[in-house]
Amino acid sequence: MENISLTIDGIQVSVPKGSTILQAAKTAGIGIPTLCYLNGVHAIGACRVCLVEVQGGRGLQASCVYPAADGMVVRTNTARVRSARRAVVELMLSAHRQECTTCGRNLSCELQQISKQLGIQESRFEGVMPKRITDTSSPSVVRDSSKCVLCRRCVTVCQQVQGVGALFPTDRGFECAIVPAMKKDLSDVACVLCGQCISVCPVGALQEKDATSDVWKALSDPKKHVIVQTAPAVRAAIGEEFGLPPGTRVTGKMVSALRALGFDKVFDTDFTADLTIIEEGHELLQRLQTGGTLPMITSCSPGWIKFIEHFYPRLLPHLSTCKSPQQMFGALAKTYYADRIGVSPSDIYVVSIMPCTAKKFECERPEMQSNPSVPDVDAVLTTREAAKMIREMGIDFPSLPDSRFDEPLGISTGAAVIFGATGGVMEAALRTVYEVVTGQTLSNIDLVDVRGLEGVKEATIKVGDLDVKVAVASGLANARKLMEKVDSGEADYHFIEIMCCLGGCLGGGGQPIPTNDDIRKARMQAIYDEDASLEFRKSHDNPAVKALYEDFLITPLGHKSHTLLHTHYTPRSKYPAADGDEMEIDVE
Amino acid sequence: MENTYRSHVLVCAGAGCVSSGCQEVADALRREITKHHLDSEIKVTQTGCIGSCDLGPVIVVNPNGTFYQKLKPEDAVRIVEEHLLNGRIVDDLLRRSGNSEVYSSIDEQPFFRLQKKLVLRNCGIIDPGNIDEYIEHGGYGGLGKVLNGMSRQQVIDEIKKSGLRGRGGGGFPTGSKWQFTHDAVGEQKYVLCNADEGDPGAFMDRSLLEGDPHAIIEGMILAGYAIGSDTGYVYVRAEYPLAIERLSLALDQARERGFLGDNILNSNHKFSLDIRIGAGAFVCGEETALMASIEGRRGEPRPRPPFPAISGLWQSPTLLNNVETYANVPLILQLGADEYAKIGTEKSKGTKIFALAGNINNTGLVEVPMGTDLGTIIYDIGGGIRGGRKFKAAQAGGPSGGCIPTQHLNVPMDYDSLIELGAMMGSGGLVVMDENTCMVDLARFFLDFIQDESCGKCTPCRVGTKRMLEILDRIAHGEGKEGDIELLEELGQRIKDSALCGLGQTAPNPVLSTIRHFRAEYEAHIRNKKCPACVCNSMFEAPCAHACPAGTSVPKYISLITQRRFQDAVRIVRDHNPFPAVCGRVCNAPCESKCRRAQVDEPLSVRNLKRYAADVVYLEGTSPRVRTRGVETGKRVAIVGGGPAGLTAAYHLARMGHAPTVYEALPEAGGMLMWGIPGYRLPKDVLRQEIQAIADLGVEIKTNTRVGIDVSFDDLVNTYDAVYLAPGADKSWKLEIPGEDLQGVYDSIQFLRDCSLDKCIAVGDNVAVIGGGNAAIDAARTAKRLGAKNVMVVYRRLRDDMPADPYEIAEAEHEGVEIQFLALPVEIVGENGHVKTLRCQLLELGEFDKSGRRSPKPVTDQIVDLPVDSVISAISQEPDITFISNTDVETKRGKIWSDRVSSMTSCNGIFAGGDAVSGPATVIEAIGAGVRAAQGIDRYLGFSGEIPSDISDISIPAPPEDVDDVVETPRAKMHAIPVDQRTRDAEVELGFSRDDAIAEANRCLRCDATS
Repeated sequence: MENISLTIDGIQVSVPKGSTILQAAKTAGIGIPTLCYLNGVHAIGACRVCLVEVQGGRGLQASCVYPAADGMVVRTNTARVRSARRAVVELMLSAHRQECTTCGRNLSCELQQISKQLGIQESRFEGVMPKRITDTSSPSVVRDSSKCVLCRRCVTVCQQVQGVGALFPTDRGFECAIVPAMKKDLSDVACVLCGQCISVCPVGALQEKDATSDVWKALSDPKKHVIVQTAPAVRAAIGEEFGLPPGTRVTGKMVSALRALGFDKVFDTDFTADLTIIEEGHELLQRLQTGGTLPMITSCSPGWIKFIEHFYPRLLPHLSTCKSPQQMFGALAKTYYADRIGVSPSDIYVVSIMPCTAKKFECERPEMQSNPSVPDVDAVLTTREAAKMIREMGIDFPSLPDSRFDEPLGISTGAAVIFGATGGVMEAALRTVYEVVTGQTLSNIDLVDVRGLEGVKEATIKVGDLDVKVAVASGLANARKLMEKVDSGEADYHFIEIMCCLGGCLGGGGQPIPTNDDIRKARMQAIYDEDASLEFRKSHDNPAVKALYEDFLITPLGHKSHTLLHTHYTPRSKYPAADGDEMEIDVE
Repeated sequence: MENTYRSHVLVCAGAGCVSSGCQEVADALRREITKHHLDSEIKVTQTGCIGSCDLGPVIVVNPNGTFYQKLKPEDAVRIVEEHLLNGRIVDDLLRRSGNSEVYSSIDEQPFFRLQKKLVLRNCGIIDPGNIDEYIEHGGYGGLGKVLNGMSRQQVIDEIKKSGLRGRGGGGFPTGSKWQFTHDAVGEQKYVLCNADEGDPGAFMDRSLLEGDPHAIIEGMILAGYAIGSDTGYVYVRAEYPLAIERLSLALDQARERGFLGDNILNSNHKFSLDIRIGAGAFVCGEETALMASIEGRRGEPRPRPPFPAISGLWQSPTLLNNVETYANVPLILQLGADEYAKIGTEKSKGTKIFALAGNINNTGLVEVPMGTDLGTIIYDIGGGIRGGRKFKAAQAGGPSGGCIPTQHLNVPMDYDSLIELGAMMGSGGLVVMDENTCMVDLARFFLDFIQDESCGKCTPCRVGTKRMLEILDRIAHGEGKEGDIELLEELGQRIKDSALCGLGQTAPNPVLSTIRHFRAEYEAHIRNKKCPACVCNSMFEAPCAHACPAGTSVPKYISLITQRRFQDAVRIVRDHNPFPAVCGRVCNAPCESKCRRAQVDEPLSVRNLKRYAADVVYLEGTSPRVRTRGVETGKRVAIVGGGPAGLTAAYHLARMGHAPTVYEALPEAGGMLMWGIPGYRLPKDVLRQEIQAIADLGVEIKTNTRVGIDVSFDDLVNTYDAVYLAPGADKSWKLEIPGEDLQGVYDSIQFLRDCSLDKCIAVGDNVAVIGGGNAAIDAARTAKRLGAKNVMVVYRRLRDDMPADPYEIAEAEHEGVEIQFLALPVEIVGENGHVKTLRCQLLELGEFDKSGRRSPKPVTDQIVDLPVDSVISAISQEPDITFISNTDVETKRGKIWSDRVSSMTSCNGIFAGGDAVSGPATVIEAIGAGVRAAQGIDRYLGFSGEIPSDISDISIPAPPEDVDDVVETPRAKMHAIPVDQRTRDAEVELGFSRDDAIAEANRCLRCDATS
């Protein structure tokens, strides 16, 4: 690629044509503070923190969007630049409700950091604050408009990365605000609750709905048998909350910490991930054999489920009827497990620790009740919330010894662990389907074609006589591309895996902040390392699952499976509900 | 065959005239014409805007260009019967200038005559709904010329050579923009016209679209050809329905005639043009926002580069110009670039249309060559300021621009000169403001607009303009703080530097430019809690009261007069001002200049009412009671100077319980009131009575005691607890011309003083008085009274420029005083040591000076010799402050410096005020200075600084309930004694009768109770 050469702060830099000043400065080792900018995702030059002086220009320029040009002379650190940046941040502070010490983003707030970086000790500007509208209507995401700095990262991530478009800027001037369509509550618009907006919010304007107090309450209730399940992606990320580098596997420490919190049993969602593979694998085989709706699409990502319900309700028959591993766990915990330990399901309190905010919605869905009026999963904590509880207990997480999950719902395989990464469900399913169909042992179980951060991946795997065509997408904008193909009949896939969030659950909206591609890669590596380190790596090899079928379920897709492990879906509108109406719609 | 008409009636159908009812007028005219069977003889055309929007509906009757204004449908009868049938002009429908000059034809009016209508050449001439008329006037000729043999590059070169710059505001060279777009790589290119005109007050784009839509269409087709584009859009705001309607019609006609579509004029060029309607966001006038809006996205700017020429509408190379720019294009191609480039200045070619608005006599659209100076536009074309008030500033460039103050009336209106002044051309809005405009309020208005219209995308614009507005709000509400101006400047500069788009980058301009030119006005709001223009009404009870330097509660005492409670009325005045009878005679009455009644008919006669009340009370032989604090503080204050400032300070200090002593150099106290104002205006006894009332409060007045000679300044400083310096300004300026030392040459101060001392002065038969202020008029009238036969006032400017009270000037002329305008004395020629001739150089008016008046310059060889026996110079005065020359009291430019709020000089405990600080000013300003000084001194002495108010027991009458139904009533007339009875001491003005006074007082709108 053609290179251009420019001078930044007296340093000669050569960068590829098309680079921005910000990128060029980075090459020269010059740091420019940024706020609204999000590498690779969002560069609109709105916040004006990254201003620099370009020789010959009238005003200052936002380096995150200003193209570097040959011969350009840039200064990033003049008095003029510094006072402009400072004024911009002071202005931002003057319109930001500063509840720093009690804010959920205390010490992880980018506005705090930038303010410190620029040495701001006071804001010279004061005046009215934006109206405080706190939207708690959604089960997953809480918006506080008075903290919003209008960086619009949420808008971009929702529109561009997720292809959802639930948030927009509205009104003008100081009244300008980021709101759901028609200024509705978030619960009244087509929000999929993925929490990616929270993940990119630099401040505390978007946060998950906190469930920690419910969990604390259950833990201190002597009548409750409180059990916890942890999703596969959590173990690859929660260490970050305690200062460990991204990609540190902390499965054992996590189990110790949860035990220390007082959970009666520490179980693993991986157990039901294996179960999902058995059920879903058999469902795929059945569809292949009986001419069912194909391609079949995975159903374990609740954000994705809500997305297809809103935007492609006519494609719902393509979804696997399998519940997600979280809900399969809940269903078994309140039936099979309750029975086994002789405790009434209503006295069992199931907590999930998930990388996901949509799971908070999933557990509330009315179809997720195996017992009348008793939810299968009582509370969902994100990775961040779990870390918050561990901190509050005063636990020194990095120094904890490793310990193991409880049995039997804590026994799992490598196939389940890789559920946390995009392509993982596909890989796990194929490991099982192959062996079930062919009766032969799969020699190379690492299906690398479906691994990695690429948005849409395709592969063809020979299973017996059949060339099984599969596709994998993560991030809903990528999912959209596949759905358009399916909708037009262009897709000849047999099986599609879709994860709502980029990179899969490891990049979920409930994961530690920040999450970026480097961090996604590190977490992904941790997950595949975990898979490789385990004794069993195929779901159908899980002894506990085998026992479950022998003792309780009898057979995949059997009657008990049907009632406990499978579900149905609700078509919804992509348009905001009129006041008082549900968003559910009829589909022909 | 085409009909030949003997007369052509042009009915202006611009949006302004449409809203004032031109359609009804046109219909009536047509009806009458038909009724008289004149249809084949007289043609009626409804044209685009003629430009004189405030006169509408207007018509022009050709061939003679007779211009009728403010027509009603019923006027059609007379126009047809008298003018069109009988050839008699209908006189009362003609336009009259400010001094009643009647204009019969359009070309006689300076408003039209001084314009150069090139871009507007068809507006007001052709029917915009008829493409043939456009073609008959040379329309589509430029297109024909181009398609018949000019290459793209030749067209672009022609535009470049013409020097045309973007009329949308920035002034970017149009040819270069075309070249960039031409050179840009892209299959599809677009031509866009920005018709999202949104600046408050600017409407030239609307008028062009309404009056000459084909010019824009032709300009865009040419642009499409030049850059290689086949698709264009005109982005018009939805608020312009008439423009949209006429443009749509014109587009249909152009398509029908093959000017749009494929193979235009049998060439290979094709071009389609459509309208896109904007939803009224001001920011959509910003080019990237405009394109986002056309694409159907939220109208928000994005950072540039990439510039639209490279990546614009739908990421394609796009050429965007505004309406007026495109309207210039056919003209350039018709005239040829060389011819076009002869118009305008070196760097700004062609003409510019300005939308003249505000407090100016002729508002509307005016087109002038670039570089025409502002003063010409305002005074010659615009007819000057409404109501004879003073020009204060013009806001150029709308909310993105800045203000141009009085001292820059000579600025050539071109892109670069305006930028230098901190303003900008913008789209050509020109809002004229007079002395009754508050610059803080103006800045607030524009910032409020911008704050509303900001898209909210970038922080500086979204939050910064809000914060600036909040500071301005605070200042306007009298809650400004020290540092606010600096904070505004800092914030403004940062926003300019850091905002994303042009809207934000220019948003602070109105604030920064008003601070730059009117900082003192901001300071008055912040420090003195004063709005000098009396606009920011949360700071005051009523504009008149706020305008009074002494802070008199005008509406309160006026309301008491309506109830015949004269004692109470005078007590209200005396609560601040110890000179009601004096001020009732000689105050320049700033209150009246801010009186809101003037918006109905005429301002209230406040001064005469005050005189009436005071005279009644003094005639009754009573002096209204004045409260004191009732304590003796034992603090002694020396006051240097027994003029109005010193006496007022003494009055209030005495009320506060201190012991003031006034040192007066002359035999009697009163200062200029006693020695400068002749008895026929202010009878000495009236003054003495009010001074006595002050002395009665315990003020010691030591006359014939000049500080510095009879008593040393140091003694005062050492003996008294505080010293107030109010020596006045009584040293006349020298004429600095030969012959000044001859016998018979006087300075007005000395002359009037000698007359007051009854010294007999033989002025002779012929007296010349030099100057134009009240002192000159007083001297002239006094000379007349001393027996002079011919008294000539020699003034170097014109009547309107004279600082003297117009009433005084009129009375002087009434008494036979003559005035020689535009003359400058250059020499006094004597004979035997005595004056004989005053030699004057005649002058003519040239450029505007700093005061906003045209400055006189000599006309070569024009010398006039006036035979004189006496010459009295009355040009100006300055303080004599030799008595502090060896002290630490700081002076500035020959005047004493003191703090505006506390009145303290640079020396602790020494205060100063009045003319010695301000230079020659008015009586009421001196009284105001005295009030402030008393407060400052009281605080310095350890007290509250509050005047012991004595009016709380006076119940103020409620205003009449039907105050909204104001009936126009002229103000009561002041009667004067006949000229032949006028002597040196006989008071000229007789005062109001009781009935007159009460009727006049009842004219008060009671702003204090209703605002």
